[in-house]
Amino acid sequence: MEEHVPAVINLTYLWKKEREELGEKVIETIKGFGAEGIEYCMQCGACSSICPLATTGFEWYNRRLIKAIDFGIRDELFDDVTPWACVACNRCVEVCPRNVNPFEVMFAMRRLMIEELAVPMTAVQALKSLYDHGHAVYTTGREARKKVGLPEKPPTTDSDEKALEELRVLLRNTKLPELGLFPMS
Amino acid sequence: MKVGVFICHCGLNIAGKINVKELVEYAGKFADYAEDVDYACSEAGQEEIARAIAEEKLDSIVVAACSPKLHEATFRRVAAKAGINPYMVTIANIREQCTWVHSGIEAQLKAMDTIRMAIARAKQSKPLERKRARIRRAVAVVGGGIAGIEASLTMAKAGIKVYLIEKRPSIGGHMALLNEVFPTNDCSICILAPKMNEVWENENIEVITNAEVEKISGRVGNFRLKVLKHPRYVNENCKGCIDDCSSVCPVEVYDVGIRKAIYMPFPQATPLYAAIDWENCIRCELCVKACKPDAVDFSQKPEEIEINVGAIIFATGFKPFDARRKPEYGYGKLENVITSLELERLLSASGPTMGEPIRRDGKKPEKVAFIQCVGSRDVNTNPYCSRVCCMASLKNALILKERFGIDVTIFYIDMRAAGRGYEEYYRMTMEKGVRFVRGIVGNLYEKDGRIVVRYEDTLLSRVFDEEFDMVVLAIGMEGNSLLPKSEDGFAEVAHPKLRPVETSTKGMFVAGTASGPKDIQESVASAGLAASKAMQLICSGEEELEPFNAYVIPDKCVGCGLCVKVCRFNSITMDGKAAIDAKACAMCGACVAACPADAIDMGFFSDEQIMAEIDALTEEKNTDPLILAFACWYCGYSALDLAGTLKLSYPPNIRVIRVPCSGRVDAEWIVRALERGVDGVAVIGCRPSECHFGVNSIAMKRVEGLNEALELYGEGGRVKGIWCSAGEARKLVNSLSEFVEELRKR
Repeated sequence: MEEHVPAVINLTYLWKKEREELGEKVIETIKGFGAEGIEYCMQCGACSSICPLATTGFEWYNRRLIKAIDFGIRDELFDDVTPWACVACNRCVEVCPRNVNPFEVMFAMRRLMIEELAVPMTAVQALKSLYDHGHAVYTTGREARKKVGLPEKPPTTDSDEKALEELRVLLRNTKLPELGLFPMS
Repeated sequence: MKVGVFICHCGLNIAGKINVKELVEYAGKFADYAEDVDYACSEAGQEEIARAIAEEKLDSIVVAACSPKLHEATFRRVAAKAGINPYMVTIANIREQCTWVHSGIEAQLKAMDTIRMAIARAKQSKPLERKRARIRRAVAVVGGGIAGIEASLTMAKAGIKVYLIEKRPSIGGHMALLNEVFPTNDCSICILAPKMNEVWENENIEVITNAEVEKISGRVGNFRLKVLKHPRYVNENCKGCIDDCSSVCPVEVYDVGIRKAIYMPFPQATPLYAAIDWENCIRCELCVKACKPDAVDFSQKPEEIEINVGAIIFATGFKPFDARRKPEYGYGKLENVITSLELERLLSASGPTMGEPIRRDGKKPEKVAFIQCVGSRDVNTNPYCSRVCCMASLKNALILKERFGIDVTIFYIDMRAAGRGYEEYYRMTMEKGVRFVRGIVGNLYEKDGRIVVRYEDTLLSRVFDEEFDMVVLAIGMEGNSLLPKSEDGFAEVAHPKLRPVETSTKGMFVAGTASGPKDIQESVASAGLAASKAMQLICSGEEELEPFNAYVIPDKCVGCGLCVKVCRFNSITMDGKAAIDAKACAMCGACVAACPADAIDMGFFSDEQIMAEIDALTEEKNTDPLILAFACWYCGYSALDLAGTLKLSYPPNIRVIRVPCSGRVDAEWIVRALERGVDGVAVIGCRPSECHFGVNSIAMKRVEGLNEALELYGEGGRVKGIWCSAGEARKLVNSLSEFVEELRKR
C-alpha cells in the first residue's frame, strides 16, 4: 500500500542525508515553512480520527505525515498527493491536545514540495485550474444550475473577470510561477 | 573591632592551587591577626581558632575555607564557645568558588579579593540574638478527605488538639464515593468508614462540617482562622434514619440516581445526620413535621467561629475536571456519556444503583468505552498527567468485564501504571480480555440510543467507527487550594522533592492532592508526612528563628507604604510609620531593598555589611572585566558551589556577594559598584516562579529598570539578571561566560 516509501526504512541513511546533503533536519525545514508546533505531537491520533483524508484512504494523512517527517523522510513523500487533498476543514486543529496544528504541517509540506519543484500531477492540474478559473476544482454541473434557474456560472471568480485578475496577481507574486504553470509577474 | 583571619589549606584542595603563606601576609594588611590552618574544620583547627580568639582578644573572625553551606554552622559554634557572638563569623569561600574552578595567578587574585571583601564585612558585623516564639499545641486541618482524616488521626493520637474543617455535610471526601480501589480492589468505603468513625469518636479532634475557612491571619505558632459555619438545618437530634423525612420530601434530584432534597450523602456519612440540598429544597417543611425527634430546624443561622492554632495542614483535595470543557465528547448533552467519578458511584455497592452499572434509561450496557486523558495532557485544558486515571479505568474495566460480562475498550495515549503492583494489574486486565486501543477519540455522536465513537487505531493507522452503549470519560484532577498556586493550579510546595509537604509559609503544610494529583496511598503518605512535620513544630514547643529579620528605623521612615506592598508575608503594618513583626518576617530582604528612605535594615545582610564588601572589592582591580555577582543563597550561590564540586571552570572575572534572596539586591548597591569601577553586575536569582519568597519578580523588574536607565547614558547591558536553579551550574557558568564576553566587546 505505501508505494513510495520503502518497506524497510534505513534511518542511518536518512540521518546522514539530513546532515550531509540537506544541511538541516527535515523537521526543521517543515517548521521553517510554518509548522512550528510539529515537535509537540505525541501521536495520540485525535487529528486523524476526524481527518477526511484518513477516512477516504489517503496514505500520508496528518498524524502519519508528522511521524514520517520526524523520521527524516522527505523525498519519498514528494510523489504523494495527500497534502494537496487537504480540504483545510480545521477540525484537526480543534481537537489537538497539544496545539500541534496538523493543518499547518500539511501546508508546510505543500510549500516544501513547491520549493523542490516536486508537485504531483493532480496538484499541477488543481493549480492550473486555480489560475485559469479561480477554482482549484473546476465547477461542473452547469446544466443542473440552469435547470433550477441559477446563472450558469456561480458568482465567484468564475464569472467575475476583475476578481479573477486580482487572484492572478496574487498567484503571480507567489513562488508558483517558477513551476512554469502560469506566466510570471 | 579586632578582626582575625584564618586561612584553611584544606589539604591540597586550597593550598595546592594558591600560595597560602602569601595570602596570610596579604590578609594581615587589612586585619589585626592572620594565620593559616591545615584543616580549619578539624578538631585541631577548631581549637586553634578558639585559642586565637581568646588570646588575641578578637571581636570578629573571617574563615577563608570551603563554602559556608558546609561549615558556617561549625565555625559559629567555635566562636560561641570561644566567647564571641556566633554571627561575628564571616566565611570567605575560596574553595568551591575559587581553587576548584580557577588556577594560577588568577586563583590567587580572586582569593585575595574574596578575603579582602570578607574582612571588610567582618568589621561591620554585629552580634545578633536568635529569637524564640511559643507554639500553640493545636493544629487546624482544612479538608476532611482521606488526607485530612489521616493527618488528623496521626496528630490526635499523639495528644495534639485537632480542628478538622470540612466544607461538605460529611467527612470522607472523594474516597467515600469510590467503588473499589486499586490495586487490591478493596471496597473503598469499607476501609475508610472505620477511620471516619475514629475521627468522630476521638476526643482530641473537633470535626466542623459545612464550614469554610474565610480568613487566616497570624504567623507560625499562632495562626488565627476565621471559619464560616453554614447552617445544616438539621440538628444533633437526627438519628440518621432518613426514611421519615425523605419519604415525604416532594423534590427528586438526579445525582447519579434519584434522591430527595433531604438525603443522606452516603450510608456511612459522618456525622450521620441528614443533609439538605439547599439549591433544590423548596422549603415546604414537610420534613419538619415528619421528623419525630424534631431534628429539622430551619431557624439555624450561619455562624462565624475563630480558631487559634500553631500550625495548619491544607488537605483541600482536588476538583474533578469539568468534562463539558471538551465539547467533542458531548458530556452534559448525551446521557450515556458519563464521567469516571459517576461510574464509581454506579459501581459502588452502597451507591444509588446498589452497584449495578445501568444507564439512565434502565438498560444494562453491553459495550462500554473508556476515553483516557480527558482534560489531562492537553495544553488547552491541563497540560499535566493526572496520574490516577489509567489505574482507575483499568480497575473499573476489570469490574465491568469480570462481574458483569460487559465488553470494554480503553482508548489511551499511553497507559501509565507506575506503582507497586500496578503493572501486574494492567497485565491482569489484558488477560481478562479488556481491549486496548492506542488512539484518542476525536469525535462521537449518538445514533439510535448508542454512542458512535470515531477513532484511529494509531498502531494500525486505520480509522474506525464503533458503537458503544456507554462512554466513560476518564476525567483528570484540578487544583483546589487555598494556598498560593503553581502554574498547574495546585499548591506550591517549598521544594518539590525534599520538602514536598511544606509551603513557603512556616507552619503551613499541605497534604494529599492539594499539591498535585495523587492516588490514595500517596495521599496517605503525604498526610502522614504533613502530620509529622506539624508535630515536629508543635512538640518543639518553641520556634527558633534566625536573627536576620528586617526592622524599621522609625526616625527615617516616611510612611510611603512601599514595604507593605512588596512584603509577601503580611509581616508589615502601617500606622503612620511602618512596623515589622519580627516573628512573622521571612527574612528575604525585599522590603529593605525597596525602602526609598533607607529606613529598613536587616540582620546579617545589613546595608553596611554589603556596602563594605562592595567598597573593599573596588579598592583594587585585579581582573578585567570585573564582574560583581549578587548570588541568592537558595539557588545562585548553590549553583556556583555546584560548579565548584563539578570542577566546571569558568572565567575568573567574577566576585560573589551572598544575599538571602535576589529580592534583597538594592539598586543603590549596583549603582555604587558601577560608579566605583566594576564593569558589570550580575544578579543571580531563582527561576521565575521558583523564588522561595515569591519576590524574585521584583528583582527582575529592578534589573530591567536599571538597564533601561543605564541605556540613557550609553551604559545599558552592564547589569544582567540570571535566573537558574541550584542544580543549573552549567547554565549559570555559561551565562556568566557570555556576560564576560559581552563586557569584553564593549
